[in-house]
Amino acid sequence: MKELVDQIKARLRDQKIEVSDEDIESRLKKLIVDFRVPEGEARRSVLNYFFKEHGIVPQVRAGSEKVKIADIKEAGKWVDLEVKVLDLWEPASETISQTGLVGDSSGSMKFVKWTKSELPNLELGRSYLLKKLVTDEFQGRFSIKLNRTSQIEPLDADVEAKPASKAASQVKVVEIEEPGQWVDLKVKVAQLWETNSDAISQSGLVGDETGTIKFVKWVKADLPELEEGKSYLLKNLVTDEFQGRFSVKLNRTSQIEPLDVDVEIGSVAAEFSGALVDVQKGSGLIKRCPVCKRSLAKGVCNEHGKVDGTYDLRIKAVLDDGRRVQDVLMNRETTERLVNLTLEEAKQMAMEALDHEVVRTMIESKLMGRYYSITGPRIDRYLLVESINEVPPVSVSQVDELIASAEVA
Amino acid sequence: MAGFSREVAKRIFAEELKSSNYSFRDGEDQHQYAPQYLLTPTGAKCNRVFVVGTLTEKDDIGGDTEYWRGRVVDPTGSILIYAGQYQPEAAQILAGMEAPSFVAVVGKPNLYQTDDGNIIISLRAESIQQVDENTRNQWIMDTARRTQERLEALKNARPVPASSDFTTADNVPAPASSPAQDADRAMQHYHTDIEHFRQMVLRALTSLKADLAKSDMPQELKTTKSAIAESESKPATLTAEQEEMPASRKSKPKKSESLNAWPEPENDEEVETINFAKKN
Repeated sequence: MKELVDQIKARLRDQKIEVSDEDIESRLKKLIVDFRVPEGEARRSVLNYFFKEHGIVPQVRAGSEKVKIADIKEAGKWVDLEVKVLDLWEPASETISQTGLVGDSSGSMKFVKWTKSELPNLELGRSYLLKKLVTDEFQGRFSIKLNRTSQIEPLDADVEAKPASKAASQVKVVEIEEPGQWVDLKVKVAQLWETNSDAISQSGLVGDETGTIKFVKWVKADLPELEEGKSYLLKNLVTDEFQGRFSVKLNRTSQIEPLDVDVEIGSVAAEFSGALVDVQKGSGLIKRCPVCKRSLAKGVCNEHGKVDGTYDLRIKAVLDDGRRVQDVLMNRETTERLVNLTLEEAKQMAMEALDHEVVRTMIESKLMGRYYSITGPRIDRYLLVESINEVPPVSVSQVDELIASAEVA
Repeated sequence: MAGFSREVAKRIFAEELKSSNYSFRDGEDQHQYAPQYLLTPTGAKCNRVFVVGTLTEKDDIGGDTEYWRGRVVDPTGSILIYAGQYQPEAAQILAGMEAPSFVAVVGKPNLYQTDDGNIIISLRAESIQQVDENTRNQWIMDTARRTQERLEALKNARPVPASSDFTTADNVPAPASSPAQDADRAMQHYHTDIEHFRQMVLRALTSLKADLAKSDMPQELKTTKSAIAESESKPATLTAEQEEMPASRKSKPKKSESLNAWPEPENDEEVETINFAKKN
C-alpha cells in the first residue's frame, strides 16, 4: 500500500500537485479493500481523481494506444501509428482496397486497407497518422488492418522511416532457413531451367561457397536476364519455402548487380534429425559403371550401355521429422559402419540368396523407424551423409521439460 | 521444378487419429488420382503417418490370400494396421513378428464408413519394422511436440475462411495449403476442444515419464519379456503382462483389454473391419 501511495504521490508531484498521504491512502483503501478493485485500476482511478480535481485533463485515450511499429507484438490490438507509406502492392482481392508497407523509426510493417472501410487512399511516400488500426498476425508476422472505424490523418511533417526495413541482410545460401525473409545474396548462377509458367521469367539454381538454392525471377519483376556461370549480387530477394526446400524470389523491389569476381560454389554441412521412414530402391548392393560411376540398371549404364559393373554398397533413404522430409545418401564407408556389414559380406549374402535385394531388406530391418541425426553437405535434394548417429535415449529431464511447456501452453 | 515430392509422415497419437473423420482429395481437379488426405482434429493434414508403439496382436484375416491385421498401442489408445498382397514386404514382416513387441509403422490413413455410419480409421502399412523401446520413447516425444505445435496453430485458427489474404510483393498463389489453413479447416469441421488434446499430450508424456522411471530397475522384467517372446506360450504372456502392468495400467487401459480379452467392449470394430476386408 505504502508503495502505491508513493507512486501516486510521485506522479502527482510531476504535475505539481501536493496531496497528503492519508488522502491518497483512504481513497486507495476504499477501492481495493471495500470494492475489490485490482491495484493497477485503483491507482489509475485515484490518479485521475486528483488530476481532475486540480484541473489537469489527462490525455483521452480513445481505446487505442499510440505505438511504434516495433511495439506491435500481439494480434487483435487497437493501435495508432505515425507512419510513412513505403510501398504499395497490388491487392490480391477485391475486398482489399490498398495494401503495402508502412514504416516508422522503429521498423516497417505490412498494412491492409479493406474496401469496406471506405477510407481515402494512401499515397506512396507520404506520412500519416493512422488511428484505430487493428493488429493482426499470420505465421508469426504482424500486419495492421484499416477498417471502418479507422481514421487517416495526413501529416505535414515527414515521418522518418527506417529505409527498407525489409532490412535485407546479406546472407550465405546455407543461412536461409526461414520463409518470408528479405535477403541479399552474392552468388553464381549454376543452372538455368526451362520455365513452366508465364509468370516466371527465369528460374534455376544459384550458389555460393556454402551451397546452392533455387531462384525464381518473376516476369513482373522486370529485371535483366541472368546468365549461367556469371556471378551477381542479388539484392532484396524474398525467401520462400515449399515442403522443406527453400528458394529465393526476385520481385519488383529486387536488384541485380553483376560482379567482377567469380563466386565459387561449394557446400557446407547441413544437419537433419528425424525418423528414418524409407530405405529406397537402389539401396544396398549395387553395381556401378566403371567409367562414369553411375549405378547400373540391369547391367546397363545410361551413358555407356552394357558394361561390366563394379560392386558398391550404398543407402538411399528418407528421414522425416514430421514437418519435412530429407532425402539422404550414404556411401559405402558410412553404410558399412552403420549396418556393420562389409561389401564382401554383402556380396556373400547376395550370392547365397541369389538376390541382391536381401541386402536392402537387411539394411531396412536395421534402420527403419529409428531416429537419427545426420550432418553433411546438401546437394540438390540429397544430403550426403558425413556423420550419422542414433538420437540418444529420451531422458526424464527432457520429458519434464516438454511436460512443463505443455502445461503452460 | 519436377512436381513430385514425398509426403511428410505426420505424427499423431492414436486417440487423435481415431477421432478423425474428415478426408478429402487435394488439388483443383479432384480426379481419382489426386492424393487423398485425412485431416485430424488438431489440423494435421496427412497422406502418410508414422507411428511407433506396441504391437499387441496380429492376425491373418484374409481368405485365399494373406491379409494381416495388427493392433498398435500408444499411451493414448490403439490403431489397427493392415498389410496385404499390395504391401508384400510389410505383410511378410508383420507375419513374422511376435506380439507384443515395439514396432514402427509408416502407413497411409484409411477412412472407412460402416453401414451404420460409424467411421473407422486404420493404417495401410507401407512398411513395418521391429524397433527398440528407445525408439518408441523418441516417438512419443516427437509426437507430443508436433501435436503441441498444431494445437498452438489452432489457437489462432479462424474457422471462417478469410479471403486469401497472404500477400507478398508479388501475388503468388500460395502453396495448396499451409498449417494455418489446415488449422482453420480443422476448427471449422471439428470445433476442436484444444484443452482435450492438450490433456492427451500431457497424459502421453506423464506415462512416458513413469515408464522411464521404471526402466531404471526392471532388468528382470526385460528378460522375462524376451523369454516370453521366445516361448510363445499364451498363459505366460498374460501373467507377465499383468506383472508389468500396475504402474502403466491407468494410462494404457487398452493394452490390457486388447491382450487379455480381445473379443470384448471396443471390439465392435473387429466385426466391421472384417467386413471391410471382405469388401476389398
